[in-house]
Amino acid sequence: MIEVVHVSKYFDNEPVLKDISVTFERGKTNLVIGQSGSGKTVLLKCIVGLLDVDEGDIIYDEVIFNKLNFGDKKSIRKEIGMLFQGGALFDSLTVEENIIYPMDMFTSMTTEEKIERANFCLKRVNMVNSNHLYPAELSGGMKKRVAIARAIALNPKYLFCDEPNSGLDPKTSIVIDNLIRELTEEFNMTTIVNTHDMNSVMEIGSKVVFIANGMKCWEGTNLEILHSDNQVLNDFIFANSLARHVKNTMKN
Amino acid sequence: MGFFFHVGKYFELMLKVFTKPEKGIMYYRQTVREIEALGLNSVGIVFIISVFMGAVITLQTAYNTENPFLPSYLIGLGCRDSMILEFSSTMVALILAGKVGSNIASELGTMRVTEQIDALEIMGVNSASYLILPKIIACILIFPLLTLFSMIVGVAGGWLAVLFTHVITPTDFVYGIQYAFIPFYITYSVIKMVVFAFLITSISSYHGYYSYGGALEVGISSTRAVVHSSVFILLFNVILTQLILS
Ligand SMILES: Nc1ncnc2c1ncn2[C@@H]1O[C@H](COP(=O)(O)OP(=O)(O)O)[C@@H](O)[C@H]1O
Ligand SMILES: [Mg+2]
Repeated sequence: MIEVVHVSKYFDNEPVLKDISVTFERGKTNLVIGQSGSGKTVLLKCIVGLLDVDEGDIIYDEVIFNKLNFGDKKSIRKEIGMLFQGGALFDSLTVEENIIYPMDMFTSMTTEEKIERANFCLKRVNMVNSNHLYPAELSGGMKKRVAIARAIALNPKYLFCDEPNSGLDPKTSIVIDNLIRELTEEFNMTTIVNTHDMNSVMEIGSKVVFIANGMKCWEGTNLEILHSDNQVLNDFIFANSLARHVKNTMKN
Repeated sequence: MGFFFHVGKYFELMLKVFTKPEKGIMYYRQTVREIEALGLNSVGIVFIISVFMGAVITLQTAYNTENPFLPSYLIGLGCRDSMILEFSSTMVALILAGKVGSNIASELGTMRVTEQIDALEIMGVNSASYLILPKIIACILIFPLLTLFSMIVGVAGGWLAVLFTHVITPTDFVYGIQYAFIPFYITYSVIKMVVFAFLITSISSYHGYYSYGGALEVGISSTRAVVHSSVFILLFNVILTQLILS
């Protein structure tokens, strides 16, 4: 479980996150949604400690993460898997080497064990036989999948995904979304996914937090969204005319 | 204000770089990789430049000292000392700043803007140390060897020029390159190159590591890396020469 408690963040005295409090539960795919520029990435980076929070606390299963020193933070970071917006695979390493990298760095597994684990992860994301390709040789969706494989290589307790669907077609997006949800349930991780994709919300949004202008505006499930009368949320979710039509039809 | 801001941030980065590696074998592997990427891949350019500069220095000296009272073996001596004292360290360092410096800055800059550095940090890796320390070590080990290589090749270039143009006899040239030889000059040059290697790698890494934005900014970092490295090479050349030879 990850708790965000009254977190604020400023850039040059401009508030980007304003007093956000939210709880992300274990074994669940928690979605953070909001318009581009609303502060989703900043929130995620604060949670993982790539950015320091200015006010408030980030709590990982009772441990106040932002108050830890560098060494103690590191021991929590080893439990974190993160999927970046562009994948962030290491260009100079092959797919297999990318996945083995965290094992090389933090475990004393033998080479066979590492390769076996890499193959397991690759199989789990449906990317068998891509071991010796370089990231430049992969399509956008494949990169995301390899990045997921790398993120779960060390059996993390926490999984963070920043816009896992950006740049993907709707069908591939759904595949990635479901993969993230399945992995979350399978390994009982606490997962946080940033997205602005409504397909994802409908598909996997069992817990949704809506952020606008750096403030938490709404939280609930995907089913509740359909019936919410929060104006800002509705403007965001039902931005296109088809969606508005569906909503009105449902109301009547 | 801008200058001191950068100096402060630079030293802060260096503190992060020079910490005890968490997993030695990974650093070792990375260092071997960098020795190849940054060092061995520069042998070709150092060879070409040194051979031609050695030849040109010899010819220039010969054509500008047509004085019967000057013994012609001094031309060999001139070629040797120019190479050893300045060319093989300072000029080669400037050229490596262009080649290696831009390489380092654009590599790190790309890793920064594509979030690969963040990915390392999330894993719990000290990204500054893991990415930069091997580069610094590789260059400090290899650049002085390139300096020695450049001295030999440069003098050989001078000798070839003599052989082809007959400005003086090859015997005089060979006598000249042995005449009044001061071995300490080589030490001096190597010491300079060690410092230059550190300047090039650390300054270029600084610019690459703190890139932000996109491809355009990476290009800008890369240019800054070369310009700043070159300026500091020239500055430290003066300082070190005064310190060592005075
Ligand atoms: N490093 C930074 N320095 C200054 N401002 C930033 C920085 N990172 C993000 N911001 C600002 O914070 C706001 C939220 O950005 P972000 O979290 O990336 O949005 P998104 O919800 O699209 O992920 C934006 O207005 C952005 O300009
Ligand atoms: Mg974002």
